[in-house]
Amino acid sequence: MKILVTIKRVEDYESKIKVKPDGTWIVTDGVNYRANPFDEIAVEEALRLRDANMPSEVIAVSVGSELSVNEIRSALAMGADKGILVKQAGWVDSDAVARCLQKVIEREKPDLVLMGKQAVDVDDNVTGQLLAEYLGWGQATFASKHESLESAEEKAKKPGVKLAADKASVEVIREIDGGLETLSVKLPAIVTVDLRLNVPRYASLPNIMKAKKKPVEELDPKALGVDVTPKVKVLKVEPPPARAAGIKVPDVAALVQKLHSDAKVI
Amino acid sequence: MTALPPEFLSVIAEQFPADFLSVDPAELVEYGRDWTKVFAPAPSAVAFPRSTAEVSRLMKLCTQHRVAVVPSGGRTGLAGGAVAARGELVISLSRMRRIDPVDTLGATVRVQAGAVTEAVHHHCAAEGLTWPIDFASKGSSHVGGNIATNAGGLKVLRYGLTRNWVLGLQVVLANGEVLELNGALEKNNTGVDLRQLFIGSEGTLGLITEATLKLTRLPGHLDVLLFAVADLDAVLSLFQTARNGPFTLMAYETFTQICLNRVQRARKIRPPFETPATQYVLMEVERADAAALEAWVAQLFESGAVLDGVLAANATQAAELWSLRESISESLSATGLPHKNDIALPIAALQAFTADFETLIATRYPEFEVAIFGHIGDGNLHVNVMKPDSMEKIEFHARCAQLDPEMFALVKRHRGSISAEHGIGLLKKNYLGYSRAPAEIALMRGIKQLLDPTNLMNPGKVLDAS
Repeated sequence: MKILVTIKRVEDYESKIKVKPDGTWIVTDGVNYRANPFDEIAVEEALRLRDANMPSEVIAVSVGSELSVNEIRSALAMGADKGILVKQAGWVDSDAVARCLQKVIEREKPDLVLMGKQAVDVDDNVTGQLLAEYLGWGQATFASKHESLESAEEKAKKPGVKLAADKASVEVIREIDGGLETLSVKLPAIVTVDLRLNVPRYASLPNIMKAKKKPVEELDPKALGVDVTPKVKVLKVEPPPARAAGIKVPDVAALVQKLHSDAKVI
Repeated sequence: MTALPPEFLSVIAEQFPADFLSVDPAELVEYGRDWTKVFAPAPSAVAFPRSTAEVSRLMKLCTQHRVAVVPSGGRTGLAGGAVAARGELVISLSRMRRIDPVDTLGATVRVQAGAVTEAVHHHCAAEGLTWPIDFASKGSSHVGGNIATNAGGLKVLRYGLTRNWVLGLQVVLANGEVLELNGALEKNNTGVDLRQLFIGSEGTLGLITEATLKLTRLPGHLDVLLFAVADLDAVLSLFQTARNGPFTLMAYETFTQICLNRVQRARKIRPPFETPATQYVLMEVERADAAALEAWVAQLFESGAVLDGVLAANATQAAELWSLRESISESLSATGLPHKNDIALPIAALQAFTADFETLIATRYPEFEVAIFGHIGDGNLHVNVMKPDSMEKIEFHARCAQLDPEMFALVKRHRGSISAEHGIGLLKKNYLGYSRAPAEIALMRGIKQLLDPTNLMNPGKVLDAS
């Protein structure tokens, strides 16, 4: 089984994010970067599926600047077999990412593509869906599972996305409003993953060393025939409104009065 | 409970604010003890002064009416130093929490004793500075308590004890006299440094009301690494290697598989490694060069110095690795009844002491599971004996009371300390002789007599007055 998994370099949500004074983007100086947490879950799922269905291969793909090779290396350190970087500096919108991925997939011909349901930087949640459309493949979004993240299945690193016995489809449990839905998707397919699918493993130091020797191929969007000119234009970036300062009330009666008249919660 | 003298109470009622004194039973329990839960709290009242002047007036009054006091900070101590079990008046500094603007040129900040450690951190971080005293209870502990106990913690290896980070001290003596010691001076070579007397005195010599703290720059990029190693020998040789590594070592902590098992039973933390090892090392380093760090780590694996290891890939993972170490104490309590000791040894003697201690446990106390963790870089071991499930509590305490002196004798033989950072308080008072010579104890008693002749300052803590 050949599994392709996508990984995006994003701002670390533990960093303090400030908006540039001119409102064009965020200040990137002093910000730490990391792999998109949803993509790490996708990598973990790919590794579990691979290990449960050997022989298999996991390819980690990123679209981004040359620095994105760090996030590919982190996927390789977790255990992915090889990496592909579609190198494009600057802002690439989700549609261009989907079109780049389409070309990579047409070349690599994986059986399954696993992706984070969205990246935590711009929270678009469209790349997987666009990609399925461009490829004409089936899709299952928001993959989750019945078992809890403290369950024995999780500890045994069992995949939540299950390959059918005939290897022609996967069964995906997905999160929907008010419950879980089970889908069977014919392969090849796109599966995007949600937060409760698994807990990604640590990259061990020996594996980080080994990852340095794993191959990472670089591709150029132009050579793939993709025009990455953004279709989405960022008009303005602004921080969320600052929270108003709290007030002190002298006693409980005043608190109740304020809750009633000002906060209007009682 | 000893009642306070009526004349004392009437002066308090006349000359102090209405909310100065509390005898609310819930507050008496709350303020009458620290994290050492073995002593029953029984204070007569709790006073909440708002200023040094109030503390001074209160102490004069206490001396006049022979009222014993227990200075009280965040009450996170582990040796009973802040326990009021004999009808003492608790003086809580919790209303005295003013933090002055940071002096960015001198890199100092003046704070009142009741300032919470973490609040000081936040206050100084805005200026790119920090007061580098850091431990798990920083969200509750007060600066005054940190100073009175000369607190240690997680970064002692890098920065040293609280003692190194206090420039000036304001202290109120038992007779109400206010001492201003050393101001904000780094250098002041003018005789005996009285400030140092009060640092680590556990509230027995005077009441700390304000301090000028020395600050340092916030560290740069921190990396957190966790290693699995074969045994204590490997822990120590890795420490030696790490001290010469291409980085500044911020913390070097160790814990055993027994500790990790308890953590995983108590908390839903994923195991860091596929294969369990005997011993683990958590390292935090401030590094300038990622490639140099990686090369250093690669060479550890090549030489077989470590069995396995992880490097936190981001801040979330770094916090997770730290939480393995930081949740040991609470996990031991959550999964059983630990009997705690906090000992220090010369690093060179750690190996020999541990071997002797293991023999002691194996031959005399084979029923005990012993969970050892600690700040190995400071020679500090937290030795926790766990109550076997089948043993009655009373028998367990009796067996531990037997074990302690036998262990302390080993500590003494290897020239260690029976209390590395928790202090003596009430809990270790009877064992002080294992770490201090009779001549030293006599001197300590003499100093106490000089500063607190009527024995009103935290009486019965550290040593008995006579």
